[in-house]
Amino acid sequence: MGKILKKFIARLAILVVVVLVGGFWYVRHIPSSPFDGAGQPEAMATLEQGEYIARASDCVACHSVPEGKPFAGGLEMGTPMGSIFATNITPDKETGIGNYTLAQFDNAVRRGVAADGHRLYPAMPYPSYAKLSDDDVKALYDYFMHHVEPVKQANKPTTIKWPLNQRWPLAFWNVAFYESGTYKADSSKDELWNRGAYLVQGPGHCGSCHTPRGPAMEEKALTEADNAYLSGALLDGWYAPSLRGDHNRGLGRWSEEDIATFLKTGRNQHGVVFGSMVDAFNNSTQYMSDNDLKAIAHYLKSLPGNDGDGTPWEYHEVSVAMVRPGEQSFMANCSFCHGRDGKGRDEWIPPLAGTTSMLSSYDESAINVVLNGSGRVVASGIPDAYRMPSFRDKLSDQQIADVLSFVRSSWGNNGPAVTVDDVKALREHTHPASPQPIILQMR
Amino acid sequence: MNEMVNFLAGMNEAATSRPLNFSRRGFLGASLGALVLGVVLPGGTARAQAAGAVKPGTRVPAFIEIRNDGTVFFRSPFIEGGQGIFTAMAQIVGEELDVDPQNFTVECAPAGPDYTIMFGGHMRITGGSFSVRSSYPIMRKLGAAARQMLLEVAAKRLDVPMSELTTEPGVVIHAASGRRLNYGDLAEEAATQPVPEDAPLKADADFRWIRKPLKRLDVRDKSTGKAMYSIDLKVDGMLLAAVQHAPRLGWESGKIFNEDQVKAMRGVHSIHTIPGAVAVVADRWWHAKRAAEALQVEWKEPAADVTYAMPADFSTEAFREKLAATRGPGVDAEKEGDVDGAFKAANKVIEAQYDAPYLAHGQLEPPSAIARWNEDGTLEIWTPNQAPEMFQGVAAKQFGLPPEKILIHSPLLGGFFGRNFTYLNGGIPFPQAALLAQKVGKPVKVIWSREDEFLRDYFRPMGLVRFRGGLDKDGMPVALTADVMGEGPTESLNGVDPNKVDPNGVEGIVEKPYAIPNRHIVQIKVPHVARVGYWRSVGHSMNDFFYETFFDEMADAGGHDPYELRHKLVAGSPRHLKLLETVAESAGGWKRGPFTAEDGSKRARGVSMASPFGSETASIAEVSIEGGQVVVHDVWVAIDPGSIVNPAIIEAQVKSATALGLSTALLEEVVYEGGKPLARNYDRYPILPLSRMARVHVSIVESGAPMGGVGEPGLPGVPPAVANAVSVLAGQRIRRLPLSRSSLGV
Amino acid sequence: MNLVINNKTYEIDSDADTPLLWVIREEVGLTGTKFGCGLAQCGACTVLVDGEPCRSCVTPVESVVGKQITTIETIEEDAVGKKVVEAWVEAQVPQCGYCQSGQVLAATALLKRNPNPSDADIADAMVNLCRCGTYNGIVDAIHAASRQA
Repeated sequence: MGKILKKFIARLAILVVVVLVGGFWYVRHIPSSPFDGAGQPEAMATLEQGEYIARASDCVACHSVPEGKPFAGGLEMGTPMGSIFATNITPDKETGIGNYTLAQFDNAVRRGVAADGHRLYPAMPYPSYAKLSDDDVKALYDYFMHHVEPVKQANKPTTIKWPLNQRWPLAFWNVAFYESGTYKADSSKDELWNRGAYLVQGPGHCGSCHTPRGPAMEEKALTEADNAYLSGALLDGWYAPSLRGDHNRGLGRWSEEDIATFLKTGRNQHGVVFGSMVDAFNNSTQYMSDNDLKAIAHYLKSLPGNDGDGTPWEYHEVSVAMVRPGEQSFMANCSFCHGRDGKGRDEWIPPLAGTTSMLSSYDESAINVVLNGSGRVVASGIPDAYRMPSFRDKLSDQQIADVLSFVRSSWGNNGPAVTVDDVKALREHTHPASPQPIILQMR
Repeated sequence: MNEMVNFLAGMNEAATSRPLNFSRRGFLGASLGALVLGVVLPGGTARAQAAGAVKPGTRVPAFIEIRNDGTVFFRSPFIEGGQGIFTAMAQIVGEELDVDPQNFTVECAPAGPDYTIMFGGHMRITGGSFSVRSSYPIMRKLGAAARQMLLEVAAKRLDVPMSELTTEPGVVIHAASGRRLNYGDLAEEAATQPVPEDAPLKADADFRWIRKPLKRLDVRDKSTGKAMYSIDLKVDGMLLAAVQHAPRLGWESGKIFNEDQVKAMRGVHSIHTIPGAVAVVADRWWHAKRAAEALQVEWKEPAADVTYAMPADFSTEAFREKLAATRGPGVDAEKEGDVDGAFKAANKVIEAQYDAPYLAHGQLEPPSAIARWNEDGTLEIWTPNQAPEMFQGVAAKQFGLPPEKILIHSPLLGGFFGRNFTYLNGGIPFPQAALLAQKVGKPVKVIWSREDEFLRDYFRPMGLVRFRGGLDKDGMPVALTADVMGEGPTESLNGVDPNKVDPNGVEGIVEKPYAIPNRHIVQIKVPHVARVGYWRSVGHSMNDFFYETFFDEMADAGGHDPYELRHKLVAGSPRHLKLLETVAESAGGWKRGPFTAEDGSKRARGVSMASPFGSETASIAEVSIEGGQVVVHDVWVAIDPGSIVNPAIIEAQVKSATALGLSTALLEEVVYEGGKPLARNYDRYPILPLSRMARVHVSIVESGAPMGGVGEPGLPGVPPAVANAVSVLAGQRIRRLPLSRSSLGV
Repeated sequence: MNLVINNKTYEIDSDADTPLLWVIREEVGLTGTKFGCGLAQCGACTVLVDGEPCRSCVTPVESVVGKQITTIETIEEDAVGKKVVEAWVEAQVPQCGYCQSGQVLAATALLKRNPNPSDADIADAMVNLCRCGTYNGIVDAIHAASRQA
């Protein structure tokens, strides 16, 4: 989230200056919740319901760290101005959310307002969680209150200095970009579509990564009503591809079954999860029911492609002659796994031919995965048999630019050439993935 | 090296201090295991005589068996790991026995007192470049004694005086009658003869094989996939095990979150919590490995008394800063003349700080071990090792058994470089295999993944040295001090004596050949946090880099050419002078550069000298810098090991050591952050590929000095020769390795 | 599934994603193909698949069904492979030997593709690691084998 925060906070600084007077009440007030006055109810849902919605919402990915206790917070999100840290959301009364009422919990999750009235940074995807149903919020609350171990671990204060650490201007950001109200079913669509739309827009918060952001770092669209929705976006050194029907940079060539399989097993014949999608898969999507995954696939396949996707990709044979720059590096470093033909190995090792990261004008994902490798994909508890190594210590910026330019112009790929400067910039701002499987326990 | 020997001898104590009461089964068992390898049964005669104390290296039948076809099976005290020792043994023994070395089959001898032939007969290791030089006279005597035993039997059969008999390879000849007897026909009876103590040795001038570039015995098998290493061996009914190690040494497993799920995985036999790890035993290693990786284990911090534990905040960069910030007093390692006075009188004083990182062994064969508990109560172990008696002693201690109940097999090593000593705090896999075999009641083979290996290797120590040099008005060095920071591997493994220098910590900085009259070199101890061990050429691997590059700084400061200055400062030592001149001549004459090569590249040369392991070397490297990357075109090495056995093997070893030296100079560095190594495979720990290898030119000088080592001495001169050349081109001193750290925008 | 290794057909029961290396070593029982890194970094596991070098540690067995797999054990039955082995012995290339199965197969594949490789061609193609540093010998042996062709 580093890049978003950097831009976001910079822009926030302008707001701080502009908004000098007025609205003091507004920026401090506690919004209303349908659960106001509901008191502290006993169990309102089963463990399974709560855990399921926690999985679907992928709470653990941000609120846990690999060697820490579940949901005790601590994940650092760095910016040049300082870092913020994910908070302790265990039911510890002192350091966690043990004293939260359902209404207070609801305000945090769906409205981005903590119990004391301070505004959460939208690194917490409350604009998406706003769509959660009342029942799911109740189930989630029940889960955190009754099934998560309380952990006494103080939240780390942000290292961002005054005045940039002021949160109240976020209230105005919310006025501009936050859409209140839970998911409203579209009666013109079937139940499966509506379930998919709910999961994608709400708990799944797919748009956080896959929808491009506007000038104030807001997601440009929160529903399919705008065709910017899920049309692909650059985030924190990874290009999250379009999830729309685009032939080249989206899911145009994927069937609904392909999508469901990908979210269930982390892989299919088109590719294997990598980059930040590894976390989303490892901790979230694989835990969803077959029917929910089918619903998500059904909904995504209903989103049409956008203009400007270019000529539809087709495979072309390439004979590697070790002549062009990058060919030798490809043969020495890439071909053994991905194949001299760029087609990968069934669903086990992804192809380089025809994949979004090799067709897109954004080259960040391609560079990043070569520099840093990819985290281990753990499906149903079993780590992958093959992992992508890190090449940052073996290949120079020039070699990486050359090999990717070669791959992005072979087998029908038509991604623009990669520049040395692009590689250099990412090398400095990214870190290698762990070669060890990382499992974030929830309980 | 003495300290290393002492340490290893100490480790050896457990195996040798007990009464030597080997049962026949105990001895033979080492070779009788149900190994798929074509193990040849040794003749049992040796041990049958073993009533009293054994004098190591004397009983011929324990070493030599001559088969009916006249071929020889030889038990080598030393293990073959690529250094050519099996061939050298065959060459030396064959010379005196008069059997063509190509007719030898050589295997590593089991643990036992016959084979502890080093240093007066109380230990053996394969290390320290000691094998040939420590055993040369013993092996010759064994060969000569065996030949004499054959002659005695032949004399009886032919009914002639022994003095009338001669031999040709494999044959006893009675010239007068023209009668010939093949060794193979005499062998069985010869083996029962008493071993003569005074069999005559050949005159050097009569050598048929020694000093000749004989082909190695193992090359064809190694070129056709037939060579078997520990990792390739099988025993009947064996299960395979993989481990998930604690992410930091000394940490222990707590809760396993998904044990039931993992137990249900394909092929899984059982899951075991063992010290510092959780192991999965399965029908195949691939199944065990996937299951071990799938285990979701909670790792708990070590108890306070676990002295070797890796703290969660350890970083190599912080440790380097600690080495740089720590000041003395230290322990004197070398003190000559009046250093203070010399510095006061000096015309110019220069200072510099150098450092080199922790290094991994990176041998290509991942560690493995097979353990089998036999019905007779013996524990049989197959594992890569450089010291069978030490492994025997350690296993005996672990299980409370007398050493003779532990049978150690020493298969070929897929590279070693110091990796396979008894690194007991989790550094070797056999304790895991033995424990698991005991738990499951079947033989178990443990294999470590490459990731396990990078996590549990014992590294070449990080080192840092602060130098101060004083020059007189002619620019000649007259005073030198060095603070050698850190700890040597021997004291780190064996316990530090604050008042004693670890020679392995300072070798390469002390006992240099240069006539600098006033010297004060101290070792300032800073304990290692990461585990350290022996690594090819040990302290020399970095210390000669420190010294020889600072030497060039002194030369530059004094306005001298670095070759000429060396030449002047070794003028009093004909051995060194000859070596220096030999390497320069081999390189077509010394020139420092920069100069333009035929291909248009701008190049420079660096020179260095080293005195490692009883041998002497001088090295020259020629480099250019292309696209910010150092290219080493040629390396010339002159080596003087005193006297030699096989020049082809020496050349191969010098080339090999040069490659490893280049690898460390250019690429290698172990980095820790948060108590964990960043590299867990070769992707993040690149080692030298063919494309970055230099062409190596080796000159061998035989000065007649006492025989020195061969396996390691080629290495220490390479990093400084390269760094000195790079400094010329880059216009900046190189004081830190690897060179990939330095920005060389030329 | 069936695998053809060294012209012999084997019935394989390993899982589809098992690396070919471990099928060869553990199920078929041929140990000349070595495990070095498991990450396609070192090349000790090199075999030939339809004549091309393949790092068997990163090759799911399912992906080589129906292809011709050649391991070090039968490389001398190949005319080029035989020349390579002879050149290896003549040049005394191996030291510890652990990487050499892979080196011999990689060299065989190179010479099949390019019977007369330059030093640069060799450097480009011979990317298997050797910790003993036998690289000078490898280059010499490949040139020698090439001259024999």
